[in-house]
Amino acid sequence: MSEQSTQTPRIRANRFSLMTLEWPDGIEDLDAWLQTQCNKAPALMAEIALVLKPPAGIDETAIHRAVGFMRRLNIGLIGLTGDSAHRVIAESLGIAWISGQNVTEPGDAVTVDAVPASVPSIAQAMVVEGPIRSGVQIYAKDRDLVVWGQVSAGAEIMADGHVHVYGRLLGRVAAGVSGGSDAQIFCQQFEPTLVSVAGIYASSEQVPETLWSATVRVGLDASGQTLNYQTHE
Amino acid sequence: MATVVTVTSGKGGVGKTTSSAAIAAGLAKAGHRTVVIDFDVGLRNLDLIMGVERRVVFDFVNVITGEATLNQALIQDKRIDNLSILAASQTKDKDALTEDGVEKVLQELADTGFEYIVCDSPAGIEKGATMALHFADHAIIVTNPEVSSVRDSDRILGILQSKSKRAKEGGKVAEHLLVTRYDPDRVDQGEMLSKEDVCDILAVDLIGVIPESKAVLKASNTGVPVILDAESDAGQAYDDAVARFLGEERPMRFVDLKKRGLLSRMFGGD
Ligand SMILES: Nc1ncnc2c1ncn2[C@@H]1O[C@H](COP(=O)(O)OP(=O)(O)OP(=O)(O)O)[C@@H](O)[C@H]1O
Ligand SMILES: [Mg+2]
Repeated sequence: MSEQSTQTPRIRANRFSLMTLEWPDGIEDLDAWLQTQCNKAPALMAEIALVLKPPAGIDETAIHRAVGFMRRLNIGLIGLTGDSAHRVIAESLGIAWISGQNVTEPGDAVTVDAVPASVPSIAQAMVVEGPIRSGVQIYAKDRDLVVWGQVSAGAEIMADGHVHVYGRLLGRVAAGVSGGSDAQIFCQQFEPTLVSVAGIYASSEQVPETLWSATVRVGLDASGQTLNYQTHE
Repeated sequence: MATVVTVTSGKGGVGKTTSSAAIAAGLAKAGHRTVVIDFDVGLRNLDLIMGVERRVVFDFVNVITGEATLNQALIQDKRIDNLSILAASQTKDKDALTEDGVEKVLQELADTGFEYIVCDSPAGIEKGATMALHFADHAIIVTNPEVSSVRDSDRILGILQSKSKRAKEGGKVAEHLLVTRYDPDRVDQGEMLSKEDVCDILAVDLIGVIPESKAVLKASNTGVPVILDAESDAGQAYDDAVARFLGEERPMRFVDLKKRGLLSRMFGGD
């Protein structure tokens, strides 16, 4: 993210394409619908960044259930939006709260107020300590992400910038989530379930066998269409 | 202040209730006033394993809803003075477990002078399980040496780190790994994960390894916590685990191949 480091911090629109899943009023749960979508397009449902908009006034446990179900299906849920009463639920679930006024209609620019106010500059990496457990999602928006420790299978770590893992990576990892094709993944022990750079992804069986468990760096090649792996030896 | 110890796993049928009964009995036997609570509303089991099923009149939910006092619901173990049991309701639905209600009962147990409150969590990650871990000071993660159990334990550890009261207040729940139903022969044949593999994946300190043992079934059929069967391998392994929990250092037993000959035992190091 070096070319950005001289700039002053600012909120930019249009960085980021988020889908909103609108949960119609009067429908008890989304299980059947979600299951169908995942059966139809599993990779897509796993890869898109989704925001859930539950109907106003719906029971908290219904939201917990829906989020739990989405996690079990490995749907890439980023946050909640809609009824501001649901903000605390988002917090308790460890996902972002996306306030209504920042979300515009489909097709328009979208911003997310997910960067904590305490972050002094856009270049400051988000540093988290592992193990990152199964079911936990971490997203470093507009930043690099550094994980000190292990990322468990079933965990998901994402960044708009680079991702560094100083430990064993068993879960899903995505760099350049908003399309930054310069983004890279650096990992000490590389055994991911899914790896993605700027939306180009590979599942674990597509990762070259010789790189399994190695110290690996992943980026995009010159075409910008294929993952490029590198290791020390 | 009492210490809340939650026995949890994510996956079902891995030995949580067996372990809760053993650990509670072990703590009590070591001289600590202990109560063990069944959080598995609708599927009560702990009272059977503890051999008190015919003495249950009131249960945990009755106390929460005020239908009974704590004293009416607590069942005193007949073998160990220090040990009491709070059974789960078989009929009430899970929504009866409210955060306020659970906290009130735990507080009252602490005020009564219990040192350890052992919570037997139900399987899964829904209400009952999250209630059982919400107030935990310590969590004992029960895991079988197989991939799906390890995965679910990892998940529960994540929930512990985000949803428990301690975590929400910026603290940390002390985590201990208890590997149960361990069979060194099957590990050797590659049919089961080794304890090292499990520790490696979960990155939690190992507090004990309980071997797969016929003594467990026998103990639960007779309503005696297996730790009281001092002759049995599983009983001794639980005894070691409780001692480690209380800060003692003990070598791991029952983790090596049974078929080792005398010579390799004498010369084979550990
Ligand atoms: N070390 C062991 N050796 C042999 N059998 C065991 C052992 N530990 C547990 N079992 C058996 O496994 C079964 C499940 O044990 P238990 O009820 O303690 O599990 P649980 O995790 O509480 O289950 P649930 O999720 O349904 O509450 C029982 O039949 C028990 O006898
Ligand atoms: Mg049980």
